[in-house]
Amino acid sequence: MGSTVFVGFQRILVAFDASPHAEHALDVALSMAGDMKAKLYVVAVIRPPEPAESAEFNAVLEDARERYELCFVPLRERARQKEIELETDIVVGHPAEQILHRADAIQASLIVLGKRSHTILHRWMLGSNSERVLKYAHCPVMIVH
Amino acid sequence: MTNTWALSALWVGLALAATLLAIWFRISTALSEIVVGAVAQLVIGVFLVQGGLLGNTQWIAFLAGTGAIVLTFLAGAELDPAIFRTKWRETLIIGLAGFFGPFLGCTAIAHFVLHWSIMPSWLCGVALSTTSVAVVYSVMLELGFNVTEYGKSILAACFINDLGTVIALGLIFSPFTIKTLIFVVVSVAVFVALPFLTPWFFRKYGGRVSELEAKYILFLLFALGGLAVWAGSEAVLPAYLIGMVLGGTVGKDHSLIRRLRTLTFGLLTPFYFIRAGSFVSVPALIAAPATMLILFMAKMLTKAAVVFPAVRAHRYEGNSGTYYTLMMSTGLTFGTISALFGLSHNIITQAQYSYLVGTVIASAVIPTVIANSFFLPRHLLPHAPTSKKSEHAVQRRAAAEEV
Repeated sequence: MGSTVFVGFQRILVAFDASPHAEHALDVALSMAGDMKAKLYVVAVIRPPEPAESAEFNAVLEDARERYELCFVPLRERARQKEIELETDIVVGHPAEQILHRADAIQASLIVLGKRSHTILHRWMLGSNSERVLKYAHCPVMIVH
Repeated sequence: MTNTWALSALWVGLALAATLLAIWFRISTALSEIVVGAVAQLVIGVFLVQGGLLGNTQWIAFLAGTGAIVLTFLAGAELDPAIFRTKWRETLIIGLAGFFGPFLGCTAIAHFVLHWSIMPSWLCGVALSTTSVAVVYSVMLELGFNVTEYGKSILAACFINDLGTVIALGLIFSPFTIKTLIFVVVSVAVFVALPFLTPWFFRKYGGRVSELEAKYILFLLFALGGLAVWAGSEAVLPAYLIGMVLGGTVGKDHSLIRRLRTLTFGLLTPFYFIRAGSFVSVPALIAAPATMLILFMAKMLTKAAVVFPAVRAHRYEGNSGTYYTLMMSTGLTFGTISALFGLSHNIITQAQYSYLVGTVIASAVIPTVIANSFFLPRHLLPHAPTSKKSEHAVQRRAAAEEV
Protein backbone atom coordinates (compact mmCIF):
# COMPACT_ATOMS: atom_id res chain seq x y z
CA MET A 1 0.00 0.00 0.00
CA GLY A 2 1.59 3.29 -1.10
CA SER A 3 1.60 6.54 0.84
CA THR A 4 -1.31 8.97 0.46
CA VAL A 5 -0.64 11.87 -1.89
CA PHE A 6 -1.33 15.20 -0.31
CA VAL A 7 -3.57 17.25 -2.58
CA GLY A 8 -4.03 20.26 -0.33
CA PHE A 9 -6.71 21.18 2.14
CA GLN A 10 -10.05 21.59 0.42
CA ARG A 11 -12.20 22.61 3.37
CA ILE A 12 -10.52 24.73 6.03
CA LEU A 13 -12.36 25.45 9.25
CA VAL A 14 -11.26 28.39 11.39
CA ALA A 15 -12.47 28.88 14.95
CA PHE A 16 -13.08 32.55 15.60
CA ASP A 17 -13.63 34.33 18.92
CA ALA A 18 -12.81 37.91 17.86
CA SER A 19 -9.52 37.83 19.83
CA PRO A 20 -6.21 39.00 18.29
CA HIS A 21 -5.09 35.34 18.28
CA ALA A 22 -8.16 34.33 16.31
CA GLU A 23 -7.64 37.24 13.91
CA HIS A 24 -4.10 36.00 13.33
CA ALA A 25 -5.35 32.45 12.72
CA LEU A 26 -7.89 33.86 10.29
CA ASP A 27 -5.17 35.69 8.35
CA VAL A 28 -3.19 32.47 8.01
CA ALA A 29 -6.28 30.50 7.00
CA LEU A 30 -7.29 33.11 4.42
CA SER A 31 -3.83 32.98 2.91
CA MET A 32 -3.86 29.16 2.81
CA ALA A 33 -7.37 29.05 1.36
CA GLY A 34 -6.33 31.50 -1.36
CA ASP A 35 -3.25 29.45 -2.27
CA MET A 36 -5.02 26.09 -2.19
CA LYS A 37 -8.34 27.25 -3.69
CA ALA A 38 -10.00 25.85 -0.60
CA LYS A 39 -13.38 26.70 0.79
CA LEU A 40 -13.12 28.55 4.09
CA TYR A 41 -15.51 27.93 6.96
CA VAL A 42 -15.48 30.20 9.97
CA VAL A 43 -17.24 29.16 13.15
CA ALA A 44 -17.77 31.46 16.12
CA VAL A 45 -18.90 29.80 19.33
CA ILE A 46 -20.93 31.63 21.95
CA ARG A 47 -20.27 30.11 25.34
CA PRO A 48 -23.11 30.96 27.72
CA PRO A 49 -22.38 31.59 31.39
CA GLU A 50 -23.14 28.64 33.66
CA PRO A 51 -25.66 28.13 35.00
CA ALA A 52 -27.55 30.11 32.38
CA GLU A 53 -30.08 32.52 33.85
CA SER A 54 -33.06 33.64 31.80
CA ALA A 55 -32.57 37.30 30.98
CA GLU A 56 -28.78 37.25 31.23
CA PHE A 57 -28.52 34.26 28.89
CA ASN A 58 -30.51 35.93 26.11
CA ALA A 59 -28.57 39.16 26.58
CA VAL A 60 -25.26 37.31 26.21
CA LEU A 61 -26.56 35.49 23.14
CA GLU A 62 -27.83 38.59 21.35
CA ASP A 63 -24.76 40.64 22.22
CA ALA A 64 -22.33 37.98 20.99
CA ARG A 65 -24.31 37.35 17.79
CA GLU A 66 -24.22 41.05 16.94
CA ARG A 67 -20.50 41.32 17.72
CA TYR A 68 -19.62 38.32 15.55
CA GLU A 69 -21.85 39.46 12.70
CA LEU A 70 -20.01 42.80 12.73
CA CYS A 71 -16.66 40.99 12.65
CA PHE A 72 -17.81 38.89 9.70
CA VAL A 73 -18.61 41.90 7.49
CA PRO A 74 -14.97 42.87 6.69
CA LEU A 75 -14.04 39.19 6.58
CA ARG A 76 -16.59 38.55 3.82
CA GLU A 77 -15.17 41.48 1.89
CA ARG A 78 -11.62 40.14 2.21
CA ALA A 79 -12.74 36.70 1.07
CA ARG A 80 -14.60 38.20 -1.89
CA GLN A 81 -11.51 40.16 -2.96
CA LYS A 82 -9.40 37.00 -2.83
CA GLU A 83 -12.17 35.01 -4.55
CA ILE A 84 -12.37 32.59 -1.64
CA GLU A 85 -15.62 30.77 -1.02
CA LEU A 86 -16.58 31.60 2.57
CA GLU A 87 -19.20 30.26 4.95
CA THR A 88 -19.68 31.71 8.42
CA ASP A 89 -21.57 30.18 11.30
CA ILE A 90 -22.40 31.23 14.85
CA VAL A 91 -23.21 28.44 17.28
CA VAL A 92 -23.80 28.10 21.01
CA GLY A 93 -22.06 25.73 23.41
CA HIS A 94 -18.68 24.51 24.54
CA PRO A 95 -16.09 25.81 22.07
CA ALA A 96 -14.08 22.60 21.60
CA GLU A 97 -17.16 20.43 21.12
CA GLN A 98 -18.87 22.84 18.77
CA ILE A 99 -15.70 23.23 16.68
CA LEU A 100 -15.40 19.44 16.40
CA HIS A 101 -19.09 19.10 15.60
CA ARG A 102 -18.82 21.68 12.84
CA ALA A 103 -15.60 20.12 11.52
CA ASP A 104 -17.36 16.81 11.10
CA ALA A 105 -20.51 18.34 9.60
CA ILE A 106 -18.51 19.99 6.81
CA GLN A 107 -15.93 17.17 6.59
CA ALA A 108 -13.15 19.68 7.23
CA SER A 109 -9.72 18.74 5.98
CA LEU A 110 -7.98 21.19 8.33
CA ILE A 111 -8.94 23.01 11.52
CA VAL A 112 -7.10 26.27 12.24
CA LEU A 113 -7.07 27.71 15.76
CA GLY A 114 -5.39 30.67 17.39
CA LYS A 115 -3.21 29.89 20.40
CA ARG A 116 -4.33 31.62 23.55
CA SER A 117 -2.06 31.79 26.53
CA HIS A 118 -3.87 30.92 29.73
CA THR A 119 -2.79 31.00 33.33
CA ILE A 120 -2.33 27.68 35.14
CA LEU A 121 -5.48 28.43 37.17
CA HIS A 122 -7.52 29.10 34.01
CA ARG A 123 -6.29 25.88 32.38
CA TRP A 124 -7.03 23.88 35.51
CA MET A 125 -10.50 25.38 35.95
CA LEU A 126 -11.65 25.56 32.36
CA GLY A 127 -9.22 23.51 30.33
CA SER A 128 -7.75 24.40 26.97
CA ASN A 129 -9.99 24.33 23.92
CA SER A 130 -7.10 23.85 21.52
CA GLU A 131 -5.90 20.80 23.49
CA ARG A 132 -9.39 19.28 23.34
CA VAL A 133 -9.73 19.93 19.62
CA LEU A 134 -6.28 18.46 19.05
CA LYS A 135 -7.23 15.34 21.02
CA TYR A 136 -10.56 14.61 19.35
CA ALA A 137 -10.33 16.07 15.85
CA HIS A 138 -10.73 13.69 12.91
CA CYS A 139 -8.50 15.85 10.71
CA PRO A 140 -5.21 17.74 11.04
CA VAL A 141 -5.25 20.72 13.37
CA MET A 142 -3.10 23.82 12.98
CA ILE A 143 -2.52 26.04 15.99
CA VAL A 144 -1.29 29.49 15.03
CA HIS A 145 0.97 31.20 17.55
CA MET B 1 -22.57 53.25 58.07
CA THR B 2 -25.16 55.93 57.34
CA ASN B 3 -23.44 57.65 54.45
CA THR B 4 -25.70 56.76 51.51
CA TRP B 5 -23.06 57.39 48.86
CA ALA B 6 -20.42 55.37 50.69
CA LEU B 7 -22.89 52.51 51.10
CA SER B 8 -23.81 52.80 47.41
CA ALA B 9 -20.13 52.70 46.47
CA LEU B 10 -19.65 49.58 48.60
CA TRP B 11 -22.57 47.76 46.96
CA VAL B 12 -21.71 48.82 43.42
CA GLY B 13 -18.07 47.95 44.09
CA LEU B 14 -19.14 44.47 45.16
CA ALA B 15 -21.28 44.22 42.01
CA LEU B 16 -18.24 45.16 39.95
CA ALA B 17 -16.10 42.54 41.70
CA ALA B 18 -18.82 39.91 41.18
CA THR B 19 -19.02 40.76 37.48
CA LEU B 20 -15.25 40.41 37.09
CA LEU B 21 -15.35 37.02 38.83
CA ALA B 22 -18.21 35.96 36.54
CA ILE B 23 -16.16 36.94 33.49
CA TRP B 24 -13.00 35.20 34.70
CA PHE B 25 -14.70 31.95 35.68
CA ARG B 26 -17.43 32.05 33.00
CA ILE B 27 -20.20 31.67 35.54
CA SER B 28 -23.50 33.49 35.62
CA THR B 29 -23.40 36.96 37.15
CA ALA B 30 -26.34 36.12 39.41
CA LEU B 31 -24.47 33.21 40.98
CA SER B 32 -21.34 35.30 41.40
CA GLU B 33 -23.30 38.13 43.05
CA ILE B 34 -24.96 35.80 45.57
CA VAL B 35 -21.61 34.30 46.58
CA VAL B 36 -19.94 37.72 46.77
CA GLY B 37 -22.85 38.99 48.89
CA ALA B 38 -22.54 36.09 51.34
CA VAL B 39 -18.76 36.39 51.66
CA ALA B 40 -18.82 40.21 51.91
CA GLN B 41 -21.48 40.11 54.63
CA LEU B 42 -19.37 37.65 56.61
CA VAL B 43 -16.09 39.54 56.20
CA ILE B 44 -17.45 43.07 56.60
CA GLY B 45 -19.82 42.05 59.40
CA VAL B 46 -17.11 40.33 61.40
CA PHE B 47 -14.10 42.57 60.80
CA LEU B 48 -15.28 46.02 59.74
CA VAL B 49 -18.80 47.26 60.44
CA GLN B 50 -21.47 45.85 62.70
CA GLY B 51 -24.44 44.88 60.55
CA GLY B 52 -22.21 44.24 57.54
CA LEU B 53 -23.75 45.27 54.23
CA LEU B 54 -26.91 46.71 55.86
CA GLY B 55 -29.13 44.82 53.42
CA ASN B 56 -32.30 45.89 55.22
CA THR B 57 -31.73 49.58 54.50
CA GLN B 58 -34.92 50.82 52.86
CA TRP B 59 -33.46 52.09 49.59
CA ILE B 60 -31.42 48.89 49.14
CA ALA B 61 -34.54 46.80 49.75
CA PHE B 62 -36.40 48.93 47.16
CA LEU B 63 -33.72 48.57 44.48
CA ALA B 64 -33.40 44.84 45.20
CA GLY B 65 -37.18 44.31 45.11
CA THR B 66 -37.46 46.23 41.84
CA GLY B 67 -34.65 44.07 40.47
CA ALA B 68 -36.56 40.89 41.32
CA ILE B 69 -39.75 42.26 39.75
CA VAL B 70 -38.15 43.44 36.50
CA LEU B 71 -36.05 40.27 36.22
CA THR B 72 -39.19 38.18 36.63
CA PHE B 73 -40.96 40.29 33.99
CA LEU B 74 -38.06 39.76 31.56
CA ALA B 75 -38.12 36.01 32.23
CA GLY B 76 -41.85 35.90 31.46
CA ALA B 77 -41.45 38.09 28.36
CA GLU B 78 -39.11 35.55 26.79
CA LEU B 79 -42.01 33.19 26.22
CA ASP B 80 -42.98 32.78 22.61
CA PRO B 81 -46.77 32.30 22.68
CA ALA B 82 -46.55 30.33 19.42
CA ILE B 83 -44.88 27.52 21.36
CA PHE B 84 -48.09 26.86 23.26
CA ARG B 85 -50.18 26.46 20.14
CA THR B 86 -48.56 23.14 19.34
CA LYS B 87 -48.74 20.28 21.81
CA TRP B 88 -50.21 22.46 24.58
CA ARG B 89 -51.65 19.45 26.39
CA GLU B 90 -48.33 17.61 26.53
CA THR B 91 -46.59 20.83 27.57
CA LEU B 92 -49.08 21.39 30.35
CA ILE B 93 -48.73 17.84 31.66
CA ILE B 94 -44.91 17.84 31.69
CA GLY B 95 -44.74 21.38 33.11
CA LEU B 96 -47.19 20.70 35.91
CA ALA B 97 -45.54 17.38 36.71
CA GLY B 98 -42.14 19.13 36.78
CA PHE B 99 -43.57 21.58 39.31
CA PHE B 100 -45.70 19.32 41.49
CA GLY B 101 -43.10 16.52 41.80
CA PRO B 102 -40.43 18.54 43.63
CA PHE B 103 -42.99 20.89 45.21
CA LEU B 104 -44.83 18.10 47.03
CA GLY B 105 -41.74 15.91 47.45
CA CYS B 106 -39.52 18.60 48.98
CA THR B 107 -42.38 19.85 51.18
CA ALA B 108 -42.83 16.32 52.54
CA ILE B 109 -39.10 15.81 53.10
CA ALA B 110 -38.72 19.18 54.86
CA HIS B 111 -41.68 18.38 57.10
CA PHE B 112 -41.18 14.69 57.84
CA VAL B 113 -37.40 14.31 57.58
CA LEU B 114 -36.11 17.71 58.71
CA HIS B 115 -39.10 18.30 61.03
CA TRP B 116 -39.71 21.82 59.75
CA SER B 117 -43.15 23.17 60.65
CA ILE B 118 -45.79 23.25 57.94
CA MET B 119 -45.41 26.77 56.48
CA PRO B 120 -41.59 26.63 56.18
CA SER B 121 -42.02 23.20 54.57
CA TRP B 122 -44.41 24.61 51.93
CA LEU B 123 -41.96 27.44 51.31
CA CYS B 124 -39.19 24.88 50.89
CA GLY B 125 -41.32 23.01 48.34
CA VAL B 126 -41.93 26.21 46.38
CA ALA B 127 -38.26 27.32 46.42
CA LEU B 128 -37.02 23.94 45.23
CA SER B 129 -39.70 23.33 42.59
CA THR B 130 -38.16 25.69 40.04
CA THR B 131 -36.45 24.93 36.80
CA SER B 132 -34.40 27.20 34.58
CA VAL B 133 -35.80 27.90 31.14
CA ALA B 134 -32.47 29.46 30.16
CA VAL B 135 -30.41 26.42 31.12
CA VAL B 136 -32.67 24.11 29.12
CA TYR B 137 -32.69 26.55 26.21
CA SER B 138 -28.89 26.78 26.24
CA VAL B 139 -28.62 22.98 26.16
CA MET B 140 -31.05 22.85 23.25
CA LEU B 141 -29.11 25.44 21.31
CA GLU B 142 -25.94 23.49 21.99
CA LEU B 143 -27.38 20.25 20.70
CA GLY B 144 -29.47 21.86 17.98
CA PHE B 145 -32.80 20.67 19.39
CA ASN B 146 -34.35 24.10 19.84
CA VAL B 147 -36.09 24.01 16.48
CA THR B 148 -37.61 20.58 16.96
CA GLU B 149 -41.16 20.06 18.19
CA TYR B 150 -39.80 18.23 21.20
CA GLY B 151 -37.47 21.10 22.07
CA LYS B 152 -40.29 23.62 21.83
CA SER B 153 -42.60 21.59 24.04
CA ILE B 154 -39.89 21.15 26.71
CA LEU B 155 -39.23 24.91 26.70
CA ALA B 156 -42.92 25.65 27.11
CA ALA B 157 -43.07 23.03 29.89
CA CYS B 158 -40.30 24.92 31.71
CA PHE B 159 -42.40 28.10 31.58
CA ILE B 160 -45.36 26.20 33.01
CA ASN B 161 -43.08 24.78 35.73
CA ASP B 162 -41.90 28.26 36.75
CA LEU B 163 -45.44 29.63 36.46
CA GLY B 164 -46.49 26.97 38.98
CA THR B 165 -43.73 28.19 41.32
CA VAL B 166 -44.74 31.84 40.99
CA ILE B 167 -48.46 31.12 41.46
CA ALA B 168 -47.74 28.93 44.50
CA LEU B 169 -45.56 31.67 45.97
CA GLY B 170 -48.23 34.28 45.31
CA LEU B 171 -51.21 32.36 46.65
CA ILE B 172 -50.20 29.74 49.25
CA PHE B 173 -48.91 32.22 51.82
CA SER B 174 -51.64 34.82 51.42
CA PRO B 175 -54.91 34.62 53.31
CA PHE B 176 -57.83 34.21 50.89
CA THR B 177 -59.97 37.28 51.51
CA ILE B 178 -62.03 39.72 49.50
CA LYS B 179 -58.74 41.48 48.75
CA THR B 180 -57.47 38.32 47.02
CA LEU B 181 -60.62 38.24 44.91
CA ILE B 182 -60.21 41.89 43.93
CA PHE B 183 -56.55 41.25 43.05
CA VAL B 184 -57.45 38.26 40.88
CA VAL B 185 -60.32 40.02 39.07
CA VAL B 186 -58.34 43.22 38.40
CA SER B 187 -55.28 41.21 37.31
CA VAL B 188 -57.28 39.07 34.87
CA ALA B 189 -58.90 42.20 33.38
CA VAL B 190 -55.48 43.84 32.96
CA PHE B 191 -53.92 40.69 31.47
CA VAL B 192 -56.72 40.44 28.90
CA ALA B 193 -56.45 44.13 27.93
CA LEU B 194 -52.66 44.45 27.86
CA PRO B 195 -51.86 42.56 24.62
CA PHE B 196 -54.26 44.89 22.74
CA LEU B 197 -53.67 48.13 24.63
CA THR B 198 -49.87 48.03 24.81
CA PRO B 199 -48.99 47.81 21.08
CA TRP B 200 -51.51 50.56 20.30
CA PHE B 201 -50.14 52.78 23.08
CA PHE B 202 -46.53 52.22 22.01
CA ARG B 203 -47.36 52.90 18.35
CA LYS B 204 -49.09 56.16 19.25
CA TYR B 205 -46.64 57.58 21.81
CA GLY B 206 -43.53 55.38 21.82
CA GLY B 207 -40.12 55.65 20.15
CA ARG B 208 -39.08 58.88 21.89
CA VAL B 209 -36.09 59.83 23.99
CA SER B 210 -38.32 60.14 27.05
CA GLU B 211 -38.47 56.31 27.29
CA LEU B 212 -42.24 56.17 27.59
CA GLU B 213 -42.18 52.40 27.08
CA ALA B 214 -39.93 51.73 30.07
CA LYS B 215 -42.05 53.98 32.29
CA TYR B 216 -45.22 52.24 31.10
CA ILE B 217 -43.79 48.79 31.92
CA LEU B 218 -42.50 49.93 35.32
CA PHE B 219 -45.85 51.55 36.11
CA LEU B 220 -47.68 48.30 35.34
CA LEU B 221 -45.22 46.23 37.38
CA PHE B 222 -45.39 48.56 40.39
CA ALA B 223 -49.17 49.03 40.21
CA LEU B 224 -50.04 45.33 39.99
CA GLY B 225 -47.20 44.51 42.40
CA GLY B 226 -48.68 46.97 44.88
CA LEU B 227 -52.11 45.41 44.43
CA ALA B 228 -50.63 41.95 44.97
CA VAL B 229 -48.89 42.99 48.20
CA TRP B 230 -52.09 44.76 49.37
CA ALA B 231 -53.90 41.44 48.86
CA GLY B 232 -51.19 39.64 50.87
CA SER B 233 -49.59 38.11 47.77
CA GLU B 234 -46.18 38.66 46.14
CA ALA B 235 -45.24 41.28 43.52
CA VAL B 236 -43.34 38.83 41.30
CA LEU B 237 -46.58 36.93 40.53
CA PRO B 238 -48.15 39.69 38.39
CA ALA B 239 -44.69 40.57 37.02
CA TYR B 240 -44.22 37.09 35.54
CA LEU B 241 -47.77 37.05 34.17
CA ILE B 242 -47.43 40.55 32.65
CA GLY B 243 -44.22 39.32 31.00
CA MET B 244 -46.00 36.25 29.64
CA VAL B 245 -48.99 38.13 28.21
CA LEU B 246 -46.71 40.73 26.63
CA GLY B 247 -44.22 38.13 25.34
CA GLY B 248 -45.74 38.17 21.85
CA THR B 249 -45.67 41.99 21.56
CA VAL B 250 -43.28 43.83 23.89
CA GLY B 251 -41.11 40.70 24.18
CA LYS B 252 -40.37 40.95 20.47
CA ASP B 253 -39.29 44.59 20.69
CA HIS B 254 -35.57 43.87 21.08
CA SER B 255 -34.65 47.50 21.48
CA LEU B 256 -36.99 47.95 24.46
CA ILE B 257 -35.95 44.65 26.05
CA ARG B 258 -32.29 45.70 25.70
CA ARG B 259 -32.93 49.02 27.41
CA LEU B 260 -34.71 47.24 30.23
CA ARG B 261 -31.81 44.80 30.52
CA THR B 262 -29.34 47.68 30.83
CA LEU B 263 -31.36 49.08 33.71
CA THR B 264 -31.84 45.66 35.26
CA PHE B 265 -28.30 44.25 35.05
CA GLY B 266 -26.54 47.58 35.45
CA LEU B 267 -28.31 48.70 38.60
CA LEU B 268 -31.14 46.56 39.92
CA THR B 269 -30.23 42.86 39.95
CA PRO B 270 -26.78 43.36 41.57
CA PHE B 271 -28.63 44.80 44.57
CA TYR B 272 -31.10 41.92 44.51
CA PHE B 273 -28.60 39.05 44.29
CA ILE B 274 -25.96 40.58 46.60
CA ARG B 275 -28.73 41.25 49.13
CA ALA B 276 -29.98 37.66 48.77
CA GLY B 277 -26.42 36.45 49.39
CA SER B 278 -25.88 38.78 52.34
CA PHE B 279 -28.69 37.13 54.30
CA VAL B 280 -27.06 33.70 54.01
CA SER B 281 -25.61 32.65 57.34
CA VAL B 282 -22.37 30.86 56.55
CA PRO B 283 -22.00 29.66 60.19
CA ALA B 284 -25.48 28.04 59.93
CA LEU B 285 -24.42 26.19 56.78
CA ILE B 286 -21.20 25.01 58.40
CA ALA B 287 -23.05 23.93 61.55
CA ALA B 288 -25.51 21.63 59.73
CA PRO B 289 -24.24 20.66 56.29
CA ALA B 290 -26.39 17.49 56.34
CA THR B 291 -29.57 19.61 56.13
CA MET B 292 -28.41 21.16 52.90
CA LEU B 293 -27.37 17.77 51.58
CA ILE B 294 -30.82 16.31 52.34
CA LEU B 295 -32.56 19.25 50.64
CA PHE B 296 -30.26 19.00 47.65
CA MET B 297 -30.89 15.28 47.25
CA ALA B 298 -34.63 15.87 47.71
CA LYS B 299 -34.67 18.40 44.89
CA MET B 300 -32.57 16.27 42.55
CA LEU B 301 -34.45 13.02 43.17
CA THR B 302 -37.97 14.45 43.07
CA LYS B 303 -37.20 16.40 39.90
CA ALA B 304 -35.51 13.42 38.28
CA ALA B 305 -38.39 11.11 39.25
CA VAL B 306 -40.74 13.27 37.19
CA VAL B 307 -38.60 14.71 34.41
CA PHE B 308 -36.58 11.62 33.52
CA PRO B 309 -39.61 9.45 32.57
CA ALA B 310 -41.03 12.36 30.56
CA VAL B 311 -37.77 12.80 28.69
CA ARG B 312 -37.43 9.06 28.11
CA ALA B 313 -40.98 8.96 26.81
CA HIS B 314 -39.85 11.31 24.09
CA ARG B 315 -37.23 8.86 22.90
CA TYR B 316 -34.25 10.67 24.41
CA GLU B 317 -32.39 7.81 25.96
CA GLY B 318 -28.98 7.27 27.48
CA ASN B 319 -26.80 10.31 28.12
CA SER B 320 -29.08 12.74 26.28
CA GLY B 321 -31.95 11.97 28.64
CA THR B 322 -29.75 12.19 31.71
CA TYR B 323 -28.23 15.44 30.49
CA TYR B 324 -31.67 16.99 30.03
CA THR B 325 -32.85 15.79 33.40
CA LEU B 326 -29.83 17.26 35.18
CA MET B 327 -30.19 20.54 33.34
CA MET B 328 -33.88 20.81 34.22
CA SER B 329 -33.00 20.43 37.89
CA THR B 330 -31.47 23.90 38.09
CA GLY B 331 -33.21 27.21 38.82
CA LEU B 332 -31.43 30.07 40.52
CA THR B 333 -33.62 33.15 40.13
CA PHE B 334 -37.01 31.85 41.27
CA GLY B 335 -35.38 29.72 43.96
CA THR B 336 -33.75 32.75 45.61
CA ILE B 337 -36.85 34.92 45.07
CA SER B 338 -38.97 32.31 46.90
CA ALA B 339 -36.48 31.91 49.75
CA LEU B 340 -36.12 35.69 50.20
CA PHE B 341 -39.91 36.02 50.20
CA GLY B 342 -40.03 33.45 53.02
CA LEU B 343 -37.37 35.26 55.05
CA SER B 344 -38.83 38.75 54.60
CA HIS B 345 -42.32 37.50 55.56
CA ASN B 346 -40.97 35.62 58.60
CA ILE B 347 -42.15 32.29 57.18
CA ILE B 348 -38.66 30.81 57.54
CA THR B 349 -35.74 31.54 59.85
CA GLN B 350 -32.37 32.83 58.68
CA ALA B 351 -30.90 29.34 59.11
CA GLN B 352 -33.67 27.81 56.96
CA TYR B 353 -33.16 30.59 54.42
CA SER B 354 -29.44 29.80 54.35
CA TYR B 355 -30.11 26.09 53.74
CA LEU B 356 -32.57 26.91 50.94
CA VAL B 357 -30.30 29.41 49.17
CA GLY B 358 -27.35 27.05 49.63
CA THR B 359 -29.41 24.25 48.08
CA VAL B 360 -30.57 26.50 45.24
CA ILE B 361 -26.94 27.45 44.48
CA ALA B 362 -25.81 23.82 44.76
CA SER B 363 -28.66 22.70 42.50
CA ALA B 364 -27.60 25.31 39.96
CA VAL B 365 -23.91 24.44 40.04
CA ILE B 366 -23.59 20.71 40.77
CA PRO B 367 -25.92 19.37 38.01
CA THR B 368 -24.19 21.64 35.51
CA VAL B 369 -20.75 20.37 36.53
CA ILE B 370 -21.89 16.71 36.57
CA ALA B 371 -23.72 17.04 33.27
CA ASN B 372 -20.76 18.68 31.57
CA SER B 373 -18.21 16.28 33.04
CA PHE B 374 -19.94 12.93 32.71
CA PHE B 375 -23.16 13.17 30.72
CA LEU B 376 -22.43 15.53 27.87
CA PRO B 377 -23.90 13.51 25.03
CA ARG B 378 -20.61 12.98 23.31
CA HIS B 379 -22.12 10.46 20.94
CA LEU B 380 -23.44 13.53 19.15
CA LEU B 381 -19.83 14.44 18.54
CA PRO B 382 -18.48 12.40 15.73
CA HIS B 383 -15.37 10.27 15.91
CA ALA B 384 -14.57 11.04 19.54
CA PRO B 385 -11.87 8.51 20.35
CA THR B 386 -12.90 6.36 23.25
CA SER B 387 -9.62 4.65 23.92
CA LYS B 388 -5.90 5.16 23.60
CA LYS B 389 -5.97 2.76 20.68
CA SER B 390 -8.55 4.73 18.76
CA GLU B 391 -6.75 7.98 19.60
CA HIS B 392 -3.64 6.58 18.00
CA ALA B 393 -5.68 5.52 15.00
CA VAL B 394 -6.94 9.07 14.56
CA GLN B 395 -3.44 10.47 14.89
CA ARG B 396 -2.18 8.00 12.27
CA ARG B 397 -5.01 8.99 9.92
CA ALA B 398 -4.16 12.66 10.35
CA ALA B 399 -0.48 11.98 9.77
CA ALA B 400 -1.23 9.93 6.62
CA GLU B 401 -3.24 12.79 5.14
CA GLU B 402 -0.29 15.12 5.55
CA VAL B 403 2.21 12.77 3.90
